[in-house]
Amino acid sequence: MPLYILQRLGMMLLTLWAIVTLTFFLMHAVPGGPFVSERMLAPEIEAALNAKYGLDQPIWVQYLSYLRGIVTLDLGPSFKYPGVSINTMIADGLPVTLRTGLLAVIAVVALGVPLGIVAALNRNRWPDTTVMLIATIGVAIPSYVIATVTLYIFALRLGWVPTFGLDDWRGYILPVFALSGFWISFVARLTRSSLLETFEQDYMTTARAKGLRPGQVLFKHGLRNSLIPVITILGPVVANLITGSFVIEQIFALPGIGRQFVLSITNRDYTAIMGITIFYAAALMVMILIVDLLYAVLDPRIKLTEASA
Amino acid sequence: MSDIAPEMWDKLSPSDSAAVTSAPSLTYWQDARRRLFANKPAVVSIIFIVLLILAAIFGPLFSPFTYADQNLRLANIPPAFETYSVADGQGGTTRFFLNASNFNLYEVDAEGHVLGLLRGERKDMLKKSQAFIFGDTTITLDYSKLPARLLAEDGATISPSGWSWNRTYIFGTDQLGRDVLVRQLYGARISLTVAFVATLVNFFIGIFYGGIAGYIGGKTDAVMMRVVEIIATIPLTLYVVLLMVVFDSGLYSIIIAIGSVFWVDMARIVRGQILSLKSQDYVAAARTMGAGTGRILTRHLLPNSIGPIIVTLTMLIPSAIFIESFMSFIGLGVTPPLASWGTLTSDAVETMRAYPHQLFFPAAAISLTMFAFNFLGDGLRDALDPRFRR
Repeated sequence: MPLYILQRLGMMLLTLWAIVTLTFFLMHAVPGGPFVSERMLAPEIEAALNAKYGLDQPIWVQYLSYLRGIVTLDLGPSFKYPGVSINTMIADGLPVTLRTGLLAVIAVVALGVPLGIVAALNRNRWPDTTVMLIATIGVAIPSYVIATVTLYIFALRLGWVPTFGLDDWRGYILPVFALSGFWISFVARLTRSSLLETFEQDYMTTARAKGLRPGQVLFKHGLRNSLIPVITILGPVVANLITGSFVIEQIFALPGIGRQFVLSITNRDYTAIMGITIFYAAALMVMILIVDLLYAVLDPRIKLTEASA
Repeated sequence: MSDIAPEMWDKLSPSDSAAVTSAPSLTYWQDARRRLFANKPAVVSIIFIVLLILAAIFGPLFSPFTYADQNLRLANIPPAFETYSVADGQGGTTRFFLNASNFNLYEVDAEGHVLGLLRGERKDMLKKSQAFIFGDTTITLDYSKLPARLLAEDGATISPSGWSWNRTYIFGTDQLGRDVLVRQLYGARISLTVAFVATLVNFFIGIFYGGIAGYIGGKTDAVMMRVVEIIATIPLTLYVVLLMVVFDSGLYSIIIAIGSVFWVDMARIVRGQILSLKSQDYVAAARTMGAGTGRILTRHLLPNSIGPIIVTLTMLIPSAIFIESFMSFIGLGVTPPLASWGTLTSDAVETMRAYPHQLFFPAAAISLTMFAFNFLGDGLRDALDPRFRR
């Protein structure tokens, strides 16, 4: 197990380095410097600015100093907002993004799994068809459509929730719902099919044959085994919640990292784009690692294969 | 399953177990087609997709407008309206409707064609009212209290005489007076082009990469799959964003960006298939007969793994459509005045309080298209995957 974690950590660092490198050179491939704008700067001023941010150095020197910054967790200054560092930008947006994201993950698990169980237990009867219909709708409709349409209906027309901002708890309802809608549906479908597959297993027949109560059969034997695929996809869920938050935070005007990212794109604030991308990637990989470790803990079969490998 | 009937334990007589094999034998494709066409949602989806493609290609030809034609005097017209008619006292009547969000009156004919903006007298800014004169009749638009209403000369509220669909702009117009329907059709063109081309690019890269990794195997495979693993951990949407920033927005860049990033799944599937197929006897037979690597790959291995490949392809299309509209929504997609479903939706968000129709149509279009491709993908999976064979 410790060896496995070490291996994974090494792999993660390698990936992170690849991401930093790729991002750095991609952003430097953009034609024009960061200070090129409609208002022509005097050449002296531009040279001074370039010197201040180290842009007059050869590219590999810039790359090394950026890498050094990453290692010391310093993502550098913003080119559009003088005096603001990317670290502060992220730190400012983090609480909002984290809160909505966490609520969305909770919603995915708390709604998706029970819906899947209900559907599987009532296979081909109306609860199943209803859940599957809703799940099909939820998987097909893009999150920004869910966000805008629910915003129109529930905030503008009915006035049940505020149209923007997070001043009270009702402000969270629509963003969290739009963010998690796809994954609630996905998890419901996954839980259902996985549970149905588990029901076919011999050990389920055994459990029933030895006279266990239906609840015990479902929770101790059925659910425990069929939730494993659900847990594996939680990593990608987090990834997609992050990218989903770009649009959702913009639509609901939430001051999170996603909105900051979209704003940086519009402003062509290259260091901010770079920094936030790297931050996202790192956060994501840590999440996936945690989920994978959790997975190994929950499923003894995984641990065995890893130990023998 | 929980009740095992006692008679199930009975011994069977030989005649009971004689299997009856009377079903006609079908080839793989005949069987797949039969099962696909038995799947109603999939059939409806195919019809929808074909109609959508036809509409995207030919629809704009039949419209008098193009996606860029602006008419600021006819901006924000809804797809249906309540009409009023006013007699001018000289034998003529004028039919018009009131756009309650921007306080304009538009003349319409009996069928519902929009004729133009009606010019009123000077607006009385203090009383928030405006007079309109039709021959001998004067009516007043009063917007001091919302919703705005029309008053006759005696001060009575005029109520609408009927309602009508908009025959000139079937889906209404946007904030620059452009026809929403035509922009939708152009949006469909863009979304579908991006989806199909990007999927094709992914398909070739994936087949090439996965095929080589799976066929050569060993160290090459290990290294190539490690690379795929690294790429798969990177949030791909982020990379599409970065590539779009580098390339600058536009139709070609978004095709390149999506096409170069989403081949990972395809490569994995192809590799898995090839890995399991290459040890089959017919491959060994082909090799003994002197077939080269290229021939074995293209004639034996790829055709036999085509089922899962097609399913993955069909699933890639909706994600490409989604990513394209997503990028356009955050302002990295096609450039104005070109429209895609994503830009149409994001433009409509700004005005949705007053003109929800501008939001409704693109949102419905993309949702229905996503539905259709999802159902088609599910249907193809059920039809092509032998594990679902019943």
